[in-house]
Amino acid sequence: MFDAIVVGSGMSGGMSAKELCERGLKVLVIERGRKLVHGESYTDNLQPWEVPNAGMVPEEDLARHYKIQGESFITAATQQYWVKDDENPYITPEGKPFDWIRGYHLGGRSIMWGRQSYRLSAQDFEANAKDGHGSDWPIRYDDLAPWYSHVEKFIGVAGSKEGLPQLPDGDFLPAFALNDGELQFKAAIEKAFPGRKVIPGRTANLSQAQPHHEELGRMTCQARSLCDRGCTYGAYHSSLSSTLPAADRTGNLTIVTDAIVHSLVHDPKTGKVSGVRVIDSNTKARKTYEAKIVFLNASTIGTAQILLNSKSEAMPRGLANSSDMVGRNLMDHLFALSVAGLLPNGPKDSFYHGRRPTGLYIPRFRNVTEPGEGFLRGFGYQGGVSRMSWRAGIGQPGIGAELKARTRKLGPWFTYISGFGEMLPNPENRVTLSTTQVDKWGIPLVEVNCVHGPNEQKMAKQILDDGKAMIQAAGGFVVSTATEPGTPGLGIHEMGTACMGKDPKTSVLNKFNQAHDVKNLFITDGAAMASSGCQNPSLTYMALSARAAHHAVEFLREGTI
Amino acid sequence: MTTTSMDRRSLLEGALLLLGVTATAGFTPEAFAKAASARPSLGAPEFALLSAVADTIIPKTETPGAVDAKVPAKFDALLVNWAAPKRRTELVGALTAIDRVARDKEGQPFAALSPEKRKELLIAHDAASLKPVPRAEKLTGMRAMMAGPSVADPAYAKLKELIVVLYYYSEEALTTELTYEHSPGDWTPSVKVTPETRATGGLGMF
Repeated sequence: MFDAIVVGSGMSGGMSAKELCERGLKVLVIERGRKLVHGESYTDNLQPWEVPNAGMVPEEDLARHYKIQGESFITAATQQYWVKDDENPYITPEGKPFDWIRGYHLGGRSIMWGRQSYRLSAQDFEANAKDGHGSDWPIRYDDLAPWYSHVEKFIGVAGSKEGLPQLPDGDFLPAFALNDGELQFKAAIEKAFPGRKVIPGRTANLSQAQPHHEELGRMTCQARSLCDRGCTYGAYHSSLSSTLPAADRTGNLTIVTDAIVHSLVHDPKTGKVSGVRVIDSNTKARKTYEAKIVFLNASTIGTAQILLNSKSEAMPRGLANSSDMVGRNLMDHLFALSVAGLLPNGPKDSFYHGRRPTGLYIPRFRNVTEPGEGFLRGFGYQGGVSRMSWRAGIGQPGIGAELKARTRKLGPWFTYISGFGEMLPNPENRVTLSTTQVDKWGIPLVEVNCVHGPNEQKMAKQILDDGKAMIQAAGGFVVSTATEPGTPGLGIHEMGTACMGKDPKTSVLNKFNQAHDVKNLFITDGAAMASSGCQNPSLTYMALSARAAHHAVEFLREGTI
Repeated sequence: MTTTSMDRRSLLEGALLLLGVTATAGFTPEAFAKAASARPSLGAPEFALLSAVADTIIPKTETPGAVDAKVPAKFDALLVNWAAPKRRTELVGALTAIDRVARDKEGQPFAALSPEKRKELLIAHDAASLKPVPRAEKLTGMRAMMAGPSVADPAYAKLKELIVVLYYYSEEALTTELTYEHSPGDWTPSVKVTPETRATGGLGMF
């Protein structure tokens, strides 16, 4: 028997495992995907001319295997990280698509993430209580602040201190500074719209590796911007580069890969979970692992699937689901609301060197310093200002030496900003299990029913309008704009299917991320989120994981769980 | 057109034949024929045509051209390893259309024309094919944002795009035309532009 089982090895699972191992627990991490080896499994050494098919995934592979994943950032250099949709099906209702973007391998989506790392603010933790949507968070910002610091120091987050209440500062490494085009853009926006800020994107890349990073074999970022392939330098935080090695050096870690969790074993006599049932993804052999506590970090939809599939006589609606909230309140961020423009007055004699692994960020201002026109909550923008690349002229007429001469020249300054908007928690946006269809391992398929509501539609329009206005205020002209949000799921920020809350009747988890119904079960992935904020959420998952691990070990030692 | 299945190494080795040929203002018809004899997936006439088109779009100047960078062989490999049958048909059709223009106007295959004549014909074809036209299908969301302009001949536009992209991803182009450092080492946010400053290359979108 293990002291603890952590289901999932991604962003939150890695952090849970590290924190539990460092507190002396013997921990088993169960990963449904295959083993990846840090460095060895990556493709970051490939030169542009060595990447197959000019970086493009073969069209027939896209059509056959990656119908959903192909809507995201898959390339020939990263193809190995994305699940094959045809082998991992799920169901959506007709006319209500949800794009579930996944990576099944050791390290999960922490290998593939965008690394943007922002704290939620006091305003975010109070939002549900204030406007009545979703379950009131059982914690406030001050409860999580020290754990944000703990995580930021460990993983390394490059960022600037700005003193903004809606985007609290953290324990940062030096920021990746804005380039001259961005500084000009910043000055124009902040002058035209007092209350709006343009700041360096906060990113989990080591702008300056510290001794505790180097102890784990991690090094300073080399400004390659090849992060999506995996980083042999370990310069961005992932489970493979960072948390799992930290867990491993304690001598307390065991990892099992290719093991798909079917369900958790619930003992009605004790009211606790006693183990985890798994199916070998290759042989289909079944096995049960036992532990004193279980952390579910299988990702928002995966965690809901496991809970709902863990039905028993005592819990006929699924494990920890007396509230009927498991699977409900599925959220993602409004995504792909992008505006691009040319900045003809950009600094003419300036360029930059290196490929920074981040860009600029425009923190939320609607319903902070400016009203939201008919919508609740808010949005932020990620983006950048850069010299337009050599690709810009491809579609323009011109051949021969003239084409070569044109391409060789530095392009004009160009900006691209993309809004990330908060979805309201809505119990009708939910994950359920099919009663008729199972996957090849006999596990009921997930059915995802999730749509953008009126609040999201109004916010989406505002994101595009504000984006255009800012580009124009910076002296630019808009050359391209999205028209509506991307399909739900494409933000790859699924959250909410086992929400935290004060009331066991309306939430799944208490203030320690402990299931109200099952005291030795903790859930610290995106499922736990009672609201989503508009900030990229991984940092919050990790802070919740570290905090929950701390309390879980205390409870274990006190003998209360 | 033949559809002989060949592995990538064979395709690249075939293209190496072209490297032995010197040219200053475009390759000769003999050179294209010699390259085609390496028998990649396209038939010999089509491969010669592809080579002539690639050489006309990106000729050798004071820096290597598309043929030096083995673009024809790489393009041929894309037809085998990347393109779905519909795409392959469209791309080959776009090539054939260029040849048809040459035969109609000059009475000869495109690959048999002089570099100057090829350029003259292709400039006109390029301008007509890339003329903006109203988009037939309504695009929404990110597709609306990322789609390039809608043009008169999308198949030609894709053909040209692939040739250009294959060239600028090549080691030859990234060491002479553009600059590329796989590992820049650090981020310097402000660098003064000089007459020697060239655009940077790589696989990024922007």
